[in-house]
Amino acid sequence: MNRGTTTAGESRRRSFDFAGAAFLVAAALLLPACAPAGPTPPQPPAAASSPAATSSPAATADGATSPPAPPATTAPAASPEAAAPVVPVRPATPPAAAPQEPAPTSLTVAGTSIDFPVVPGGVSDEGAMEIPDAFDLAAWYRFGPAPGATAGTAVIAGHIDTKSDNAPFSQLKSLAAGTAIRVGRDGAPALNYRVVKVELMAKDSFDGEALFRRSGPHELKVVTCGGRWLDERMDYSDNVIVTAVLE
Amino acid sequence: MRNTIFTAGAGAAAIAAAIALAGPAQAAEGDAQLSVLHGVPGLTVDVWVNGERTLDDFTPGTLAGPLALPAGAYDLAITASDAADASAAVIGPVSVTLAANGNYTAVANLDAAGKPTANLFTNNVSQIEAGKGKLTVRHTAAAPAVDVLAGGTAVISNLANPNEQTLTLDPGTIPAAVAAAGTTAPVIGPADVTVAEGTHTIVYAWGSLTDKNLQLAVQTIEGLHSAPGSVPGALDGSAKTAAVEPAAIALGFGAIAIALLFGGMGAARALGGLRKQR
Repeated sequence: MNRGTTTAGESRRRSFDFAGAAFLVAAALLLPACAPAGPTPPQPPAAASSPAATSSPAATADGATSPPAPPATTAPAASPEAAAPVVPVRPATPPAAAPQEPAPTSLTVAGTSIDFPVVPGGVSDEGAMEIPDAFDLAAWYRFGPAPGATAGTAVIAGHIDTKSDNAPFSQLKSLAAGTAIRVGRDGAPALNYRVVKVELMAKDSFDGEALFRRSGPHELKVVTCGGRWLDERMDYSDNVIVTAVLE
Repeated sequence: MRNTIFTAGAGAAAIAAAIALAGPAQAAEGDAQLSVLHGVPGLTVDVWVNGERTLDDFTPGTLAGPLALPAGAYDLAITASDAADASAAVIGPVSVTLAANGNYTAVANLDAAGKPTANLFTNNVSQIEAGKGKLTVRHTAAAPAVDVLAGGTAVISNLANPNEQTLTLDPGTIPAAVAAAGTTAPVIGPADVTVAEGTHTIVYAWGSLTDKNLQLAVQTIEGLHSAPGSVPGALDGSAKTAAVEPAAIALGFGAIAIALLFGGMGAARALGGLRKQR
């Protein structure tokens, strides 16, 4: 295993080092945090991590259609002679539904056993991305861009472990640049991506705005857990984030 | 049928219309955003900002903007279309103060008694929690207080002109109807109102009950989404408290069994040693 990474199994064995940690040990065995895979995953207590995203000023994009952001110039109050801006006027009817990108249906990573169905996932009551409990199923963040979108990141996430073993997603951290990732889509041709980087992002400084961005260049982000297993949190220290771009 | 309750009079031509505005030439950092909604039936008007004709031949049921304006006080006046100046206002002039970075909608509408008036609403453009959308309903119609029904159940009660109420909802399409407060017989709708994730959808009830032309206008403010707080966001104990109790008990037994097992085998030390080697 790579230095600096910890598989679930190692973590659990390590746990026995702590006298009096039996409860946590048992919990680790029964409740693999970050990856509860099983029919009735119990819910461990909330960890003191990952507060909701940001306190950055609210976007003020306005209007039924996406307008360009106002230029960030600091022009002084314009003189009446300046070119008059135009104000869009439209019927105050409901906006037309935005065309939906086809949803991803499968994820295959070359050279690994990752070959999963992908299902849409939303947000849990606690504000986390929802991922199915099964270890062989990945979730696509359905409120963000889809694979093949013109802008922003398509996020597909899965569990790194099962109750008893590493899940295929534990192979993500070892992917080499250039590895092929194929995303099957609902009613549309599959897309081929290439890995450009694999990184760890500490859960303590989780940057959701960057991971789940909705503008900027399109990328595929394949995410699981990684880093060190933290007994006191019942969770891993990091997220493993694979970034891939369309071929 | 459902579409007819929405403002449809403006037609396709208005969609492409762009009206020159006597305002600042460029949006600047800190500018306020002002939209203008025309909610007075049967009246084509001009809208004047600080004495300058800003919207020409503005028709009922249309929404203009947003217009970027430096923070400050503005005089808004509404005249008959083709008025020579703002002196003979049919609504106003009203003085409004726009704060830096504020987002506003000025509405020309009827008050509860049917008299033309204007209201300045402040639009909440704060970020919306991930996975949710916001729906605000504003009563700008000549009608008594109303309830807003979603699928026959009141989700907003006793909303009077010119008040508003906001709900944070799961994204989806709501069969919304407006009924007199305390009743369920629709005076508007039902109509499908879509609440999109990360979007603040603002619905205006406008028109006149007496004149039987009540309808809805819709404004959307996009880009208010926020990101999930974690991936995969494990450790979500609070929401499923009921399930936690039996699980905790099972866990307790498991923990004891494991402690006994490993205590007896002396495995804790051995594995502790393993850890130190890493």
